[in-house]
Amino acid sequence: MADQPTATERFIQGVLPENPVYRQLLGLCPVLAVSNNMKAAVTMAASVTFVLLCANVVTSLIRNLLKPHLRIVVFTLTIATFVTIADRILAAYLYQMSKTLGPYIPLIIVNCIIICRCEVCASKQSVFTAASDAIGQSLGFALALSSIAAIREILGTGMFFELRVLPAAWPDWVIMALPPGAFLTFGVMLAAINWISSNK
Amino acid sequence: MMMESRTREIKDSPGMWERIKKNSLVQGWLVLLLALFFGSALASVQLSLGPKIEMNKLNETLSKVPELVLGASRAHEMEAKNQELGIEPMTIEVNKNNKRVLYNVYKTTYNGEINGWVAKTSGQGYAGSIELLLGLDPGMELITGLFILDQKETPGLGNKIVTEQWRKQFINKPTKNRLIVVKDGADAVNEIDAITGATISSKSVSNIMNTAISDLKGQLISGQSSNR
Amino acid sequence: MTKKEDRFTTFEKAAGKLNVASSPHLVDTAMTTRSMMIDVLISLAPVILMSVYVFHWYAVKQLLICIASCLAAEALFTRMRNKPFSLLDYSAVITGVIIAMSMPGTAPWFVSVIASFVGIGIGKSVFGGIGMNIFNPAMVGRAFVMIAFAGYLGASGYEDAGSLVDAITQATPMDIFKQSGVVPSLSVLFWGVTNGSLGETSAIACIIGGVYLCIRRTASWEIPLGVILTVAVLGGIQNIVSPDSGWTVLHHLFGGALLFGAFFIATDPVTSPLTPKGKFIFGAGVGAIIMLLRLFSGYPEGVMFAVLLMNALTPLINRWNVPKPLGEH
Repeated sequence: MADQPTATERFIQGVLPENPVYRQLLGLCPVLAVSNNMKAAVTMAASVTFVLLCANVVTSLIRNLLKPHLRIVVFTLTIATFVTIADRILAAYLYQMSKTLGPYIPLIIVNCIIICRCEVCASKQSVFTAASDAIGQSLGFALALSSIAAIREILGTGMFFELRVLPAAWPDWVIMALPPGAFLTFGVMLAAINWISSNK
Repeated sequence: MMMESRTREIKDSPGMWERIKKNSLVQGWLVLLLALFFGSALASVQLSLGPKIEMNKLNETLSKVPELVLGASRAHEMEAKNQELGIEPMTIEVNKNNKRVLYNVYKTTYNGEINGWVAKTSGQGYAGSIELLLGLDPGMELITGLFILDQKETPGLGNKIVTEQWRKQFINKPTKNRLIVVKDGADAVNEIDAITGATISSKSVSNIMNTAISDLKGQLISGQSSNR
Repeated sequence: MTKKEDRFTTFEKAAGKLNVASSPHLVDTAMTTRSMMIDVLISLAPVILMSVYVFHWYAVKQLLICIASCLAAEALFTRMRNKPFSLLDYSAVITGVIIAMSMPGTAPWFVSVIASFVGIGIGKSVFGGIGMNIFNPAMVGRAFVMIAFAGYLGASGYEDAGSLVDAITQATPMDIFKQSGVVPSLSVLFWGVTNGSLGETSAIACIIGGVYLCIRRTASWEIPLGVILTVAVLGGIQNIVSPDSGWTVLHHLFGGALLFGAFFIATDPVTSPLTPKGKFIFGAGVGAIIMLLRLFSGYPEGVMFAVLLMNALTPLINRWNVPKPLGEH
């Protein structure tokens, strides 16, 4: 395992070079579904960070006990547990936000970013590397999610974190707050990032 | 080395050890152990947070009740004077075309006297269902308040049903006639202004209210003894 | 790069084997995109003149804004893709004219600018530029602003009571009918001295331009025929079912954007099927969806959505209507 990336490399890769959303195109369900305002996006990013960090650490701790044909079951079990804990915590302390996010918190269970990191990194590398990988990837996810949410919230409602940033005369682009706005913003952002990186 | 241990195993108990090793329960010991561990972790989370979540759900409704019966200004006044409204939750069963419909209704009392009703009801909106609280005066003659608990209407158009500006036109509407949504300025007492560009959402809200009022009106006034 | 070539060769192979030629099927091979586009511009002249006559400077303003922003968008996006400048084929100008003609005169300037940029950018450039787009660019742009700015493009967006231009002070005939059931006179709809999107009001202007396009074979006659026949049949059935509504088959044909859409929007050769039979099916589908939306939806008009939905079905229609090579069965 000499050719495995180090903890620092894992961290840096997660943020931009291997950004889970813009580079690996993973975890798009929350990116499209809960990106119409910043508050929901930040809560979602925080929940994903919690789940990914816990799942990566636990997986890494038990990595020597894993049997190849049962590893997916173990990953799923671990992820599902932490997602349920995150969901309950939100319902207890941020009830309104939990209602707004609705099914999308439980759906983190099927978010491919997490199982992908368990498989690629945590099941093969040390706890420290796994944790720094989780934080890097979560940061990348948070960056992508909030970039889309910022565009959609500002264009769609003229507000940022529910505070008015554009003049009241701003004509709200209602379509940006609706589901098509998520697809259009994501597509345009992806195209822009590919265009910039191909022109380098 | 490998060969040696193999042969010894077979000598000791032919095939036995191999069979145990291949048994799915033994193979999955880690899964079972983790399931047990995670299961108990979840149980403890549920035990510690469950009551708080239940409270949140209840509070969401209860905290709105005084405002819906008394109006915002009087509710704040009472709160400032540290007076409390008695809120008695109950379930009302309505028989409609041989179908049982259940309503969560809250009877509010002040100094032992009934001063209003709040009913929780829901129905189909333009996109998904709309859940709302409806405040009524003691005789169920007037609407005293409306609050939208949950809705999925179009942002920027239909979701304006949650705005106070739109909701306040329902206050003090008599329940004698059905509420009617109009597009070009409400003038009759039972008319409601539609939200521009969201007539269907506006109609849905008033229809949900109409149904609840007609279902509950007779029940609550005549059948108060049947309250449980 | 090799991958791209592979894809093209397979496509060409398939095309060769199935004998499918790119639409439109022109006898005159010298006819270029540019001369086709000039034909379209000539055919749009009566519509443009009529809109300027009815809406005065509102129409002039929309035309200038939309053409300028479409050209700017085209220039920007072709430069981003490092492709040669393609403004001279007039396709961006036509997209601009069609967006302008499908707008209410009262729409603010930024609505037209956004519609143009979205139409050229998301409707055309992202698919690979002219000839590669799936959806009609003008309608993509218009649909975007229609949903984004429902207030400006919905029923009330067309009216401006304080306007000096007569037509704009009233509600559009489609809205009046949808809301209060009042039927306008047929002659108003035919000549077009009424409110509505700039280019849609006058049935006669659309017919003159459309017939010219079909005679020049720049547009395939099967598409408008399919639209008009279906609307006539469904409108006839609607008349039989509810005879006292007063909105006759001719109202359905002359009212709203039907003729403008049938002749100028649905006939876009890039986004419509290849074979004559496919074209007719496409037109009939557009007509059926228009009637569905007009009769049963909350919108008074549905030409834009109908064209976009049928654009999405065009590849399917093409697949179902592959002409059989001679001798096979």
